Amino acid sequence: MNRKKLSILVGVVGALGLLMPVFAQEVPSVDEIVRKANHMAYYQGQDGRARVTMTVKDKQGRTRTKAFSILRMDTDDQDREQKFYVYFHEPSDERGTVFMVHKHVGKDDDRWLYLPALDLVKQIAASDERTSFVGSNFFYEDVSGRGVDEDTHELVETTATAYVLKNTPKDTSAVEFDSYTMYVDKNFFIPFEIRFEKGGTVYRIAKVLGVKDVTGPDGTVYKTVTKSQMIDVESGGSTQLDYSTVEYDVGLTEELFTERYLRKPPQEYLK
Amino acid sequence: MKLSESVTRISLDRPRMIAVGILALCVVIGLTALLPSVWPASFPALNGVRVDTDPENMLSSTEAVRVFHDDMKRVFSLNDIVVLGVVNESDPEGVFNPESLRKIYDLTQYALTLHGDVIGQEDPQAGVIRADVLAPSTVDNIEQGGPGVVRFEWLMASPPTSEADAVAVRDKARRIPFLDGTLLSESGKALCLYLPLTSKDLSYSVYMKLREKIAGMEGEERFFITGLPVANDTFGHQMFVQMAISAPMAMVVIFLLMLLFFRKLVLIVSPMIIAMAAVICTMGLLVATGNTIHIMSSMIPIFIMPIAVLDSIHILSEFFDRYQQTRDRRKTMLSVMESLSAPMLYTSLTSSAGFASLALTPIPPVQIFGLFVAFGIMLAWFFTITFIPAYVMFIPEKRLENFGMADMSAEEGREDRSLVGRFLHLMGYFTFRHAKSVVVLSVVVLVLSVVGMGRIRINDNPTNWFKYSHPIRVADRVLNEHFGGTYMAYLVLRAPGETAASALRGVEEPAGASLTAPAVPALPAGLGGPAEPTLPAGLGGSTSVLAPEIVVEAASMKEEVFKDPAVLRYMRGLQEHLLTTGVVGKSNSLADIVKTVHRELIDGTEENFRIPDSAAAVAQCLMQYQSSHRPDDLWHMVTPDYRQTSLWVQLRSGNNTDMTRVVQAVEDYFAENPPPKDLEHQWFGLSYINVVWQQKMVAGMLQAFLGSFLVVLLMMIILFRSALWGFLSMIPLTLTIALIYGVVGFIGKDYDMPVAVLSSLTLGLAVDFAIHFLVRTRALYEKYGSWDACHDHVFGEPARAITRNVVVIAVGFTPLLLAPLLPYVTVGVFLAAILFVSGLATLLLLPSLIRLLEPYLFPATAQCALGCRFSTSFIAGVVAIALVAVNIHQFLEVSWSHIGIGSLVLVVIVAVMSFIISRRASCNTDATSQ
Repeated sequence: MNRKKLSILVGVVGALGLLMPVFAQEVPSVDEIVRKANHMAYYQGQDGRARVTMTVKDKQGRTRTKAFSILRMDTDDQDREQKFYVYFHEPSDERGTVFMVHKHVGKDDDRWLYLPALDLVKQIAASDERTSFVGSNFFYEDVSGRGVDEDTHELVETTATAYVLKNTPKDTSAVEFDSYTMYVDKNFFIPFEIRFEKGGTVYRIAKVLGVKDVTGPDGTVYKTVTKSQMIDVESGGSTQLDYSTVEYDVGLTEELFTERYLRKPPQEYLK
Repeated sequence: MKLSESVTRISLDRPRMIAVGILALCVVIGLTALLPSVWPASFPALNGVRVDTDPENMLSSTEAVRVFHDDMKRVFSLNDIVVLGVVNESDPEGVFNPESLRKIYDLTQYALTLHGDVIGQEDPQAGVIRADVLAPSTVDNIEQGGPGVVRFEWLMASPPTSEADAVAVRDKARRIPFLDGTLLSESGKALCLYLPLTSKDLSYSVYMKLREKIAGMEGEERFFITGLPVANDTFGHQMFVQMAISAPMAMVVIFLLMLLFFRKLVLIVSPMIIAMAAVICTMGLLVATGNTIHIMSSMIPIFIMPIAVLDSIHILSEFFDRYQQTRDRRKTMLSVMESLSAPMLYTSLTSSAGFASLALTPIPPVQIFGLFVAFGIMLAWFFTITFIPAYVMFIPEKRLENFGMADMSAEEGREDRSLVGRFLHLMGYFTFRHAKSVVVLSVVVLVLSVVGMGRIRINDNPTNWFKYSHPIRVADRVLNEHFGGTYMAYLVLRAPGETAASALRGVEEPAGASLTAPAVPALPAGLGGPAEPTLPAGLGGSTSVLAPEIVVEAASMKEEVFKDPAVLRYMRGLQEHLLTTGVVGKSNSLADIVKTVHRELIDGTEENFRIPDSAAAVAQCLMQYQSSHRPDDLWHMVTPDYRQTSLWVQLRSGNNTDMTRVVQAVEDYFAENPPPKDLEHQWFGLSYINVVWQQKMVAGMLQAFLGSFLVVLLMMIILFRSALWGFLSMIPLTLTIALIYGVVGFIGKDYDMPVAVLSSLTLGLAVDFAIHFLVRTRALYEKYGSWDACHDHVFGEPARAITRNVVVIAVGFTPLLLAPLLPYVTVGVFLAAILFVSGLATLLLLPSLIRLLEPYLFPATAQCALGCRFSTSFIAGVVAIALVAVNIHQFLEVSWSHIGIGSLVLVVIVAVMSFIISRRASCNTDATSQ
């Protein structure tokens, strides 16, 4: 974890605005960039929670807003196995809806759904992970994270601020894109822009619009994306996620991520 | 010297100037239209040829129903669709076998590439809208995945490899009401791919690409491409075929007829030149003024041509008869023009007025057609009176030596032994002896016609504009046999207070576009260095920024009406009711989606195929529906605020009568079943637009007919200086039009656009016969003193001239029968019929009436001045007022009741004025002097 500590150090210094590219001279290997970017995007801390406001805007400028809480817990230290619990607060007629995931790498995730108005718990089977996340422009996979082994990665460029990776899927039948280009920030390894391409044109763009330092209970500083956006170039729609009350290492237990808690949400973590 | 005479003299004196002048006019106008059509880039300021085949343009783009239609298309993101049907009738499982499904999969993949430069567009998004394509491989399936498991997946992620898998695709799709009867046929024999386009202008390229792809596919499947945009493009193509074939054919036919009449090639070239010049100038002006070539305006050449040669025929006919008396071109022409200038002016004016009255219809293409034909007719008249005398001066006298009736006088006394001559003679005799019978018979015919008119079925169906065997009609028949109907109409339901505008907030500058706008230009245009994305705040140097908390504005939200289970059940009830009309094959609504998702979320059994009991349950079902590959499908059915919904109705035919029945069924349902919440309803979609323009057309045509009737009547009263004579001249054509429409009613021919247009325009043409007949009758009566003495002469040369006219116009229009599109054929058939019948009516009914009304028509003391007879001037005044009133109603949109009051006042004023004028001193002296 030497390099990780180094990057945190760089982050702290960088945030103070004192120095910039001195440490970035040395170009890490592609695998390392990929691993770190994956970690920064989905696996910081042992667990975490956040309150998210999601604004979906269509081509006509009409917006819809949903508010939900995400609870996340890593169940190994390999940045692989993970559990999610998504609880919807708004709109009021969706309040209490829960979406739960046991994320696996190398096999299909386990997913559950709880619909309070029908008092219905269902397990979800899906042929792929490229479906809309509750009607937004984000896909399920954008939210849960795409397995790093599913693509081949290539460093195509190193710019002043970013490592530019081109990622090509190994199995093209399960995805709709040909490839995606990821811009990974050199200092903190946060992938801050992803451009999905199909037939030679970029048709989806994920962007990070805001990053904030969040300090964990033990004083660790986590560089955290607090505002991100997905643009669907074809439809002209976009979705923005605004994260508030982000916390790390809150001490979630695995018990929370079981069917029992679908009907009985852990209110203390959902404020 | 009269004006007409001086014009003739100028023409005779300076033939070269006239010829060059007309040529220059044609060249200038022709080039103004031609150059920008061929090199649009070099002449940006000029208007080139623009073809318009969009049936929507039957209504003005500002018409409320169209504005609403366009707004709703945007609100629900609906686009024009190319439909690709695949039918397999030989396989027992229809198209649901591995081979057919593989082809369908390949076609879908291919269709998804049809955008951007593949179809020659710069904008990469232009073309097929991928996200909205409906095909087995692009739609989602929701089903049970075992106990407690719900499964979401592509309906057909890849082509199945086994028979069983192929059939499974069908069985899955059948369980989804949205797809059953839309994507696949009830029989399973057929399947349709729906390809929405960003713009309907692109349909032709997409159509051609698909055709190319299909041509390379072998097997037992049959492919059909249809959908409105395709029909439009094909229509545009056929329009040019019509202009390229029918118009020159009309030219040839007219040429041959004239050759038959005059047998002097050098002379009959001149009317052809006039017809050409009139067509070039009119069409040139049409294009140059920025008007489009539409189904109506494409008929302009074929209308102008036969009418343009009529006046020339009169001049040549007279010249032919008189030349040998003087053997002097100049003198003959002067005398010919003197006797013909008034009737030529009047017949041109009446024809012109008949067409111009089409401006009274609220259908823009019909208005343009009417005005330009009217203009063309007057232009042809002007060319005729200037060019024909000039042309005659160009012909060396010696070439005219054998011209004309050399050894006979042109006087009417000579016995005509030809078949036509003897027949006409007999006819005159008959009308003199059996005048009463003819009149009684006419009244009977009129009564029967009125009965027939009562049976007229008003209906149009743009698909039926194509001939029965045309690929588009074939596709239409086959697909409507298999599917719930390919004609779409949309019923919008909405909470009170919602408007298109409230659903389209800030649509002028779509927010999505402004978000993507900076990103897209920055992207690699070729594959050069991509513009580097900028670091977000929080990374890099700038201080971190956190967005202010976004608060969900729950308080300001209006009620989401279309999540209410009661409202959704009401919608289902309405849909069930629509099926009872027999013309609706299927309908789709938000309620169907909710029911389907609810069933699969619970357990997949039929008993759960229902609307759940709470709005929250509805919301949660829809949330799951949106967690699919196609989240935006929902917004084709309902607006995101759940205040407006669109119910998709599929009709099996494009008949307007069927759409009208559906509209009525909805009105009935709302009247008998009050909705649980206050709901407004309104239709859109092309099927509905067709109904609206048809209603406008029927009302408009009545006004146009009234308008042209009044204007022609007024002209006749002025021409004959008598109200009685004016009415008399209108009788044959009135009877003719009544008869034709009576026949239309009896034989069950739909009263559609071409049939409707005919009434007012034939009026202007058919009155010509009456004018000639009555003008000559008056002249001959003066000479012989009684009808008994003169009727035989009237049935000599004048009747022959009328017969000649009838033949030229009627036969001149027959090349329309060769046209590939039915409206042209209809116009051709009906025009010929109308002209023959009105010619007959003129020659039978007018003489009979003259015989019966002789004492009134030829009073002992005739007043010539129009103002001196109270009744005539009063009636002329009333007709003029009525004419103005009709125009005011149409163009200023004043209500009839206001117009009625105003007109009444004017009528009284006219009465008083007519009385004073008729009693004035000059009239008295006039009367006493006689």
